[in-house]
Amino acid sequence: MTKIPVHLDINGRHHELQLEPRVTLLDALRDRLGLTGTKKGCDHGQCGACTVHVDGERVLACLMLAAQAEGRTITTIEGLAREGELHPVQAAFLEQDAFQCGYCTSGQIMSAVACIREGHAGSDEEIREYMAGNLCRCGAYPHIVAAVRQAALEAAS
Amino acid sequence: MTVHDIRVGESKRGDASDGGADAVGGRLSRVDGPAKITGAAKYAVEQQLEGLAYAVLVESTIASGKVRAIDSKAAEAAPGVLKVLTPDTIISLKTASDWFGTPPPDRPYCPLARDITFSGQHVAAVVAETFEQAVAAAAMVKVSYDETPSIVDLSDGKAGDGIPVDAMTKEWGDAQAAFASAPVRICAAYNTPREYQAPMEPHGLIARWEGDHLTVWEPSQWLDGMARTYAEWFAVPFENVRLVSPYVGGGFGSKALALSHGAVAASAAKMLGRPVRLVMTRAQTFTGYGGRAATRQTVTIGADHDGLIQSIVHRGVNETSIDGMWVEPLGSVTSIMYATPNFSSRQNVVRVNSVVPGAMRAPGENPSAFGIESAIDELAYEVGIDPLEIRLRNYAEQDPHAKKAWSTRQLREAFAAGAERFGWARRTPEPRSMRDGNYLIGWGVAAGTYPVRRAYGEAVVRILADGSVEVESSSIDMGQGTYTILAQTAAETVGVSADDVVVKLGDSRFARAGVSGGSRLAGVMTGAVYKAASSALDQLIGLAIGDPRSPFHALQANTLVVANGRITAPRGDGPDVSIADLLKSVGRDRIEATGDTMPANSTAEDRYKNYTTIAMALPHTEGDYSRHSWCAHFVEVRVDEDFGTVRVSRVVSALDSGRLYNPKLAESQWKGGIIMGIGQALLEEGIVDRRHGRIVNNNLADYLVPTNADIPDIEVISVGIPDLHSSVLGGKGVGELAIVGMAPAIANAVFHATGKRIRDLPITLEKLI
Repeated sequence: MTKIPVHLDINGRHHELQLEPRVTLLDALRDRLGLTGTKKGCDHGQCGACTVHVDGERVLACLMLAAQAEGRTITTIEGLAREGELHPVQAAFLEQDAFQCGYCTSGQIMSAVACIREGHAGSDEEIREYMAGNLCRCGAYPHIVAAVRQAALEAAS
Repeated sequence: MTVHDIRVGESKRGDASDGGADAVGGRLSRVDGPAKITGAAKYAVEQQLEGLAYAVLVESTIASGKVRAIDSKAAEAAPGVLKVLTPDTIISLKTASDWFGTPPPDRPYCPLARDITFSGQHVAAVVAETFEQAVAAAAMVKVSYDETPSIVDLSDGKAGDGIPVDAMTKEWGDAQAAFASAPVRICAAYNTPREYQAPMEPHGLIARWEGDHLTVWEPSQWLDGMARTYAEWFAVPFENVRLVSPYVGGGFGSKALALSHGAVAASAAKMLGRPVRLVMTRAQTFTGYGGRAATRQTVTIGADHDGLIQSIVHRGVNETSIDGMWVEPLGSVTSIMYATPNFSSRQNVVRVNSVVPGAMRAPGENPSAFGIESAIDELAYEVGIDPLEIRLRNYAEQDPHAKKAWSTRQLREAFAAGAERFGWARRTPEPRSMRDGNYLIGWGVAAGTYPVRRAYGEAVVRILADGSVEVESSSIDMGQGTYTILAQTAAETVGVSADDVVVKLGDSRFARAGVSGGSRLAGVMTGAVYKAASSALDQLIGLAIGDPRSPFHALQANTLVVANGRITAPRGDGPDVSIADLLKSVGRDRIEATGDTMPANSTAEDRYKNYTTIAMALPHTEGDYSRHSWCAHFVEVRVDEDFGTVRVSRVVSALDSGRLYNPKLAESQWKGGIIMGIGQALLEEGIVDRRHGRIVNNNLADYLVPTNADIPDIEVISVGIPDLHSSVLGGKGVGELAIVGMAPAIANAVFHATGKRIRDLPITLEKLI
């Protein structure tokens, strides 16, 4: 299959790649760019582990071709902390023990950041609903809710 | 030379009062947390290697029969394809020993099948330059079969009654006669379906050969056990195989053994002379290894009118595969939870066309508890006694089967603490008697237990020139908190801050470790690290007292105190020196100690066997005591009367895991078990296509695991006390305990809400309307 040039803007850095058009954004991140913080759990948009932000909105990187992200602004878990300072959602996840094995965690955090920005973190009930697309088999859900609540309150204050 | 008392007292209950955050028992946040929340933690298959090739598996589409032919021409000609592996082209391996270390038969092993015994069996693999090329080419491999009839599951007419497993028989008294003469008799059948571990990280590996040395980056619950298997498959020395597994994205029992896909990838790497990555698709994870076997149980209880049990007769069946043997011990909880003078439990296994089932969180105890903890609830209603009260009336004061004292059993305390917090006294006993608008409210209780599996452990502890401490072990952290509790153990024992401890895990080059399964790792490894760290501290103090260059030499002290990284005399009347300065003054750049809990006369062969098999695990009833963790779950459900939908709205669980090494992390693990139990009770079921013997819901949209929106607030209460019969530092098992008893607690709550007794999991709406 003929490769095409793809320009990706990830975490404020510009990357030029030669990719087959069938390469997903997820595989481009993990296998071509070494950005393995974004996880592959199902490759079918069912688990949420690959959640990233494209133009500020949460997107499942396994369901988007890398070529579709051309010219758009991509943020991954590696780009969330600023100048070594943890994002408030990251800090809240650590404090609340909102993860165990850590494999869903990048996706959970990316979803949580967007969930708060979308205004969907107004109550525990709302957080549960708007975080329901990110599976966690270790069962950290109550602590994820606590972390999102904490970070949302910090963002509001 | 020095004496270090373990700082465990009767008052220490593993809560926040059990030392500072850095010490054992403190609520230290995960030390591996920063790596995980920033995406920096590199999991096994995320290593970036030069020249990496990508393998994709091709699986059987029939459940029984033979591969007639594999047409791989198109795949071989596809762009980027390096190799198509089939049973005819893959290199020949040797059969490996099992996890008991039983010497294998001297015959070749082929991880790609010609004889098909289940749908989804690996029949071929394609290796290509890129993942996308391998996926595309794998779809071009054409496999033809000679199909034969299959036994799709336990309810298949061809399945039969199975094979008796005599080792599972447990009997005392005359259970049949006592049942026949009992004034109250209940008898019911309880079924659980196939369930799947479904860790978020799929199984997979990178294999790389350098000469006859193999490195495998693979998520693993047991590096040394898997290294042994790879070494035997490829007939190379054990020392030539290195397993690397720095982080593990969940296992739940499924990542303890080297599996056939690993043999395929390592063979491909050898054949190509290149590193090869093979990761299962999510669908393949449903057949690439076994989930929890489907089970059937009948439980009969004979009792008097006061609810006192006279007899329990239990019969169980679990499915296994056509050519493998999996026994899910269904009488494990039945035989110990309640006092009964007469008891009989027997079990069969039935062969079906499935992958051989495997370990999933509390294998045995989990379905066993669903049977007995549902049945005792049925008995409670039969005799008109509160379900909590009937459990207390039949409380087992000692192990009814082993006839030994419990090491510790805080189950009465768990019932009391849970009931108090839950408000059990406000419950009205009649089914359908509690309601909130259109919702029927049900309150249920059930108990759970898990044995303390013990083994010997080993660790290396180093005190480095800068005063920091390093711990090395080939054990792993799949979310239990191994990195953290071992840092706490070393910090407390040596006398430094946990920030000054670096724990290195997940590399088989480190000190050996047995399986991380059966909830044994924390107890085994804290004991080993305690021993190694004590030995390192002895050396440090020995140098400080005995070396003429030490500032303490003139003091003529018998011992010294090390705390917060500084060395002082016990009465504070001498120098105050940092560990780093002391090492510098005596001209040492490090102190290193290996500690293990093996018997003193152990041979090298004993050690190899201990770390690479489970043959040397210590029975939980060894010596004078029977050792188990215990718990009591209190659950509220809300059932929509019209639609039959069940929601768990409240959970309070009180648990006895002995002393907790880190309550913050133990609570998380308990809640995880409770949540997986909610999934088991209400959602999870592998659905078999009866025509083809396939699991049709082999993905995360159709095999339903709990989502955030399914889970209410969960309260966990620790009622444990240190149990030094169970482990060096007083802990019992944590990881598996909390799932045990959750499904029956929910089923019992559903009965209380609706008056309908559901004995087939999961409890889905069509069973209620």
